[in-house]
Amino acid sequence: MTLNLSGKTAIAGVGYRQYKRGTAPWPERGVLVRAIVDACEDAGIDPADVDGFVSYGDDKNEPVRLMPDLGTKQLNWSAQVWGGGGGGIAGTFGIAASAILTGQAKAVVIFRALAEGNSGRLAAAVMAHHLNDHMVGVGLVAPAQVCAMRAQRLFEYHGVPQSVCEEMVRASYYHGSRNPEAISYGKELDVEAFRTSRWIAEPFRLFDCSRENDGAGALLMVSSEMARDLKRPPVKLLSVAQGAQKGWGDLLENDDADLYPTAGFRGIRDRLYGMAGLTPADIDVIQLYENFSAQGVASLIDHGFCTYENVAEVLKYENLIAPSGKLPINTSGGNLAHGFVHGFVTAVESIRCLRGESHNPVPDAKTCLLAGGPGAPTVSSAIFGID
Amino acid sequence: MAQMVTGQLGAEGPYWDALAEGRLLLPRCKGCGQWHWPAVWRCGECGSWEHEWHERTLEGTIFTWTRTHHRFGGTEGLDLPYTTVLVTLNDAPIRLQGLMEGREDDLKIGARVTGRIDKTRFGDAAILSLRWSLA
Repeated sequence: MTLNLSGKTAIAGVGYRQYKRGTAPWPERGVLVRAIVDACEDAGIDPADVDGFVSYGDDKNEPVRLMPDLGTKQLNWSAQVWGGGGGGIAGTFGIAASAILTGQAKAVVIFRALAEGNSGRLAAAVMAHHLNDHMVGVGLVAPAQVCAMRAQRLFEYHGVPQSVCEEMVRASYYHGSRNPEAISYGKELDVEAFRTSRWIAEPFRLFDCSRENDGAGALLMVSSEMARDLKRPPVKLLSVAQGAQKGWGDLLENDDADLYPTAGFRGIRDRLYGMAGLTPADIDVIQLYENFSAQGVASLIDHGFCTYENVAEVLKYENLIAPSGKLPINTSGGNLAHGFVHGFVTAVESIRCLRGESHNPVPDAKTCLLAGGPGAPTVSSAIFGID
Repeated sequence: MAQMVTGQLGAEGPYWDALAEGRLLLPRCKGCGQWHWPAVWRCGECGSWEHEWHERTLEGTIFTWTRTHHRFGGTEGLDLPYTTVLVTLNDAPIRLQGLMEGREDDLKIGARVTGRIDKTRFGDAAILSLRWSLA
């Protein structure tokens, strides 16, 4: 028997705290406990009743250590998606839903916490997960460089114009400039500064790369049935998929040639849309994890919103902004302009935009795609919806 | 002798041993003839555990590249900017990473390159790695 989990679980509570990198007012676990309590208060449940926890990206906060602060009565479920990068972000929802729908947990918090003072720079931590002598010996020590090599192939060989990255980044900053919680609040992208900012690793300049912030995020998931009785309008998980296809992964850059410049989602795309019974045309708003600009573009191509051939026609600034664009992305500013706590803001905004809480509302939005960390060996995405 | 910094990754021990001797050796499944990179213990295509290591020439074409300008921690042994390339070998369906040396004026995907073996300083260690130049 195959159980389709579509619509059977929902996010009932949201908590998110973000600070400038290195300035969290408490150590990492202190920020995380506050975000979890925020999510529980948002939903109207006692933090002591949370009985499951899921994270990703080598998070260091083992759930059992949260129990004294939360008053946890019983820890029934703790798990993490494999992978050092943001590839596992959306897969967390699948793990949480599986626990809830099989009766192994009732109230599961999906979280990620980062404070430079405790965990150091995220880029270094992600790379430590992957580093080997092959890469160190050729000067490849940062995610930016590996993504740059793939971006170069995307632009130079597959003919995707690099200008589409600018359109996408501008759209993120447009939304961020209107979001008081965003690091870019009040500041739209200075296009000239974007074009002339210093090189990091060609073809990436500074503003092609995500920021790093301190902070923590928590999303509370329960069954859709239980969510109906809680304080906030439930946002249902319609679909989730994680994994990798043959020819993609941690392969010393020997991925299949046609997969190499992608963001890795071709292998999960059909499962993702199939579980929800939706197509890309049914998606009203996208929260796009962009660690680097080109990987965001590649992710949109992988998820079926455009092709190598028509990418420049589809990914236009006007088309990507709310409320008027047909394909609004990153309505809070996303990783580039809202802030980067290992991408968690994209998950948070997936819920907020469907609740109608976004600072850049998308009128009548019923479905939101969370396109997870691109370019990671294990990738994942999810689709959320409201009735 | 070069020092391993991060430890052996998988089944590629003979690759490092050969580089230290100045040769490039790469593994091919004895069961079905599949080349494997990264090296494997078991061929996922045919199930064989037997592999033969073949000497290959350091000649190929650029698959992609990046030129690094930012001083990332751990790259202090390299002068900025430096160019990292991914090279498709001429005589095996395998891509190897390396650093460019010499002129880069017409560096582009598809450009023909030849390579040699060198070492990269990393802290107190020296890691065997490839250097490529435009042919």
